[in-house]
Amino acid sequence: MELVFSPEQEELRRSVRRFIEARSPLSAVREQMESETGYDASVWRQLADQMGLQSIAIPEEYGGAGSSFVDLAIVLEELGRGLVPSPFFGSVVLAAYALLDAGDDAACRDLLPGIADGSRLATLAFTEDSGSWDLGDITLSAVPERDGWSLTGAKSYVVDGHVADLILVAARTSAGLSLFAVEADASGLTRTELPTLDQTRRLARLVLDGTPARLIGTDGAAETSLARTLDKAAIALAAEQLGGAQAALDMAVDYAKVRQQFDQPIGSFQAIKHKASEMLLRVESARSATYYGMWAVADDGEDVPIVASLVKAYCSEAYFHAAAENIQIHGGIGFTWEHDAHLYFKRAKSAQLFLGDGDFHRENLAERVGI
Amino acid sequence: MEIDLGPEAAAFRTEIRGWIAAHAPAELAAMTDWNAAAMTGGHSVNAEPEQSPEYAAWEQELLDARLICASWPEQYGGRGLGPVENAILTEEFHRAGVPRIRRGFGEGMVGPSLMAHGTAEQQEHFLRRIITAEDVYCQGFSEPDHGSDLGSVETRGVVDGDEIVITGQKVWTSGFYRANMMFVLCRTDTAAPKHRGLSYVLVPFLDNNIEARPLKQMTGAAQFGQEFFDGARAPMFNVVGGLNNGWKVAMTTLGFERGGSATTQHLRFEREFWDLVDLARKLGRERDPLIRQQLAWAYTHVQIMRFSGLRLLSQLAEGRDPGPEASTSKLFWSEYEKRLGEIAIDLLGAEGLVRPEGEGYQVSHWQDVFLASRAGTIYSGTSEIQRNIIAERALGLPREGGHKPAPKPATR
Ligand SMILES: Cc1cc2nc3c(=O)[nH]c(=O)nc-3n(C[C@H](O)[C@H](O)[C@H](O)COP(=O)(O)OP(=O)(O)OC[C@H]3O[C@@H](n4cnc5c(N)ncnc54)[C@H](O)[C@@H]3O)c2cc1C
Repeated sequence: MELVFSPEQEELRRSVRRFIEARSPLSAVREQMESETGYDASVWRQLADQMGLQSIAIPEEYGGAGSSFVDLAIVLEELGRGLVPSPFFGSVVLAAYALLDAGDDAACRDLLPGIADGSRLATLAFTEDSGSWDLGDITLSAVPERDGWSLTGAKSYVVDGHVADLILVAARTSAGLSLFAVEADASGLTRTELPTLDQTRRLARLVLDGTPARLIGTDGAAETSLARTLDKAAIALAAEQLGGAQAALDMAVDYAKVRQQFDQPIGSFQAIKHKASEMLLRVESARSATYYGMWAVADDGEDVPIVASLVKAYCSEAYFHAAAENIQIHGGIGFTWEHDAHLYFKRAKSAQLFLGDGDFHRENLAERVGI
Repeated sequence: MEIDLGPEAAAFRTEIRGWIAAHAPAELAAMTDWNAAAMTGGHSVNAEPEQSPEYAAWEQELLDARLICASWPEQYGGRGLGPVENAILTEEFHRAGVPRIRRGFGEGMVGPSLMAHGTAEQQEHFLRRIITAEDVYCQGFSEPDHGSDLGSVETRGVVDGDEIVITGQKVWTSGFYRANMMFVLCRTDTAAPKHRGLSYVLVPFLDNNIEARPLKQMTGAAQFGQEFFDGARAPMFNVVGGLNNGWKVAMTTLGFERGGSATTQHLRFEREFWDLVDLARKLGRERDPLIRQQLAWAYTHVQIMRFSGLRLLSQLAEGRDPGPEASTSKLFWSEYEKRLGEIAIDLLGAEGLVRPEGEGYQVSHWQDVFLASRAGTIYSGTSEIQRNIIAERALGLPREGGHKPAPKPATR
């Protein structure tokens, strides 16, 4: 493990950033917030066709570029920095890794190429109306049919569930927790988009009523495979959080240098300086933790489960802190709809709660280190 | 997970590991836990083993191999280790359980000041004596009326022929009882603007009209002192960097040994963390969800120290300039330590109310952790001063009262 970015990785970061600045500035983000699907399909296509980002960490045999998780995390950090509304996280992180971790070669061959080239949107539905992020709380049931399986029950808080073409559903069979693939047009599937606090990330509730599904991987094996997926997803989300937190810090510092009160920049007041230093301290700590975490995943380190919960807990709170302090440093303008500070504030909260908040992950962490 | 720092670093690690195996006295590692660094302001647990013949033999081996002040350039008697090698040295000593003998303020502050600002004759005379511990320094910067604002110190230095005569008072001097020398920041020109009238003087500390008195700390121990100077004398030869140039000399030593303990500083906190988990178990509180939250919080912070250290070292190994994380590390660990002390005493509950029997103000281990942890956010620049520095240097915010915006820092 090296823990420093290669020149190619630095270049990847720069090109993603340039692309986002040109094609998805915050003004465009606001348009997507109001749009029906919640994302810009042409940006999505360009991410795939011009930059190949959806395929980045998918193995070559499944139509991907076969780069490391570190490369993927770099992309996520930049997407988080730009608050780009995109089905990227659901499709390329949650769904792709759910398929890969299930270890089902045939399903990977069938389903990953569409995810990799961006032609199909996928997502993972595992949470239910209880709002629990714990795999143990999943109740939706699956029963075998003549040629396949049938699922009945409800899923909620499904990221981009309203637009996904392919939904991977975690369900219980007599053998235990299992993973299934459900097509968006399958019979008995009703999808309802949920109005979200964070309009840059959409969620849906799904009702399945005898919906036909394909078993992915071994019946009853998803308890372990999905746990691995969620660990990666936690670190991936942390990378997004890191990017957002840095953006909030930059915004606050830039403003503190130019906003004048009492004949001086507000950044010369210690109350503001100390807030900014504290933000930097936490953002840099989040960076150390996230970078370690993404290399740990790339290296398949055995400490990934521990690091995943640690990183998710820390980054969730660091981002929320930075986003909240950014509003305070902006004063009145920071409270307006026009100003972008609230976009980060809302994303920070949604990312904090999504996949489990700090308390949830600290409890996991305590368990995982053996306390 | 091991971090790959490149083939040179790996070769150095192998070399050091072999050297330790060949040269460390057999009984040394087993004598005591050399890694158990005393808490800030706490008691030195290894005072006795440090008097042993094994320790003396080890010290001689280190001297012969130039592994004391090892990061100093070779021309000054060091081994010229870069930050990565220096960190590996610390790691390997730690792994082998043998002490990394350091020369305190002499190694970290006086030496680097001399290298940057001293004359060849001064370097010749003083550096060697630091390495051999003939000279042990304490730091005479703070005064009763001037701590954070060091530029205002009032202790006077008056030139008298080829000597400088010092009168005034210094305070909060760590380890004064071990020292035979003190590096003193004193005012040699009262007419000049405050930062321009200071001198940095190496003052003989014993039998020199200096009355040193121990000062009892809130922990009950007395590890720092105060000194009254009544015409203490030092040769002009002992003024470093020239008369009235002391501010610049004092400032050069900040952050000299960057990277030296980047990957090991978390270890004492990690050890302490697991001791705290043991305490929670002993008290039957380890399943309490609130306690678990606090323990997981502490674990997270200790690991972040490790991750940040690894990140810093990886950057240095690649020859890159470390980012802002280098400037936040002291603030991070000192604030963490305070919170850890609070978690520990709260965990003890009523038991925390009562001290052990014994003379004076004896405290239990966790009471000591709780009390001693208040020091880290005060010495070497208080947390408030650290935040000022981070805001101005790492974030480029303007100075207080300043109307000019600071230059834009490099964005990441
Ligand atoms: C355990 C210990 C060991 C020490 N060892 C040594 C030693 O060996 N040699 C030595 O010379 N000194 C030593 N010191 C002294 C230490 O460096 C000073 O205590 C420290 O610099 C603070 O100075 P002060 O005590 O005068 O507090 P002050 O400077 O008076 O500070 C009081 C409070 O005001 C705040 N404050 C001050 N200025 C500002 C500002 N500009 N902005 C915001 N807040 C501000 C401080 O943060 C603090 O909260 C030691 C101290 C301790 C606790």
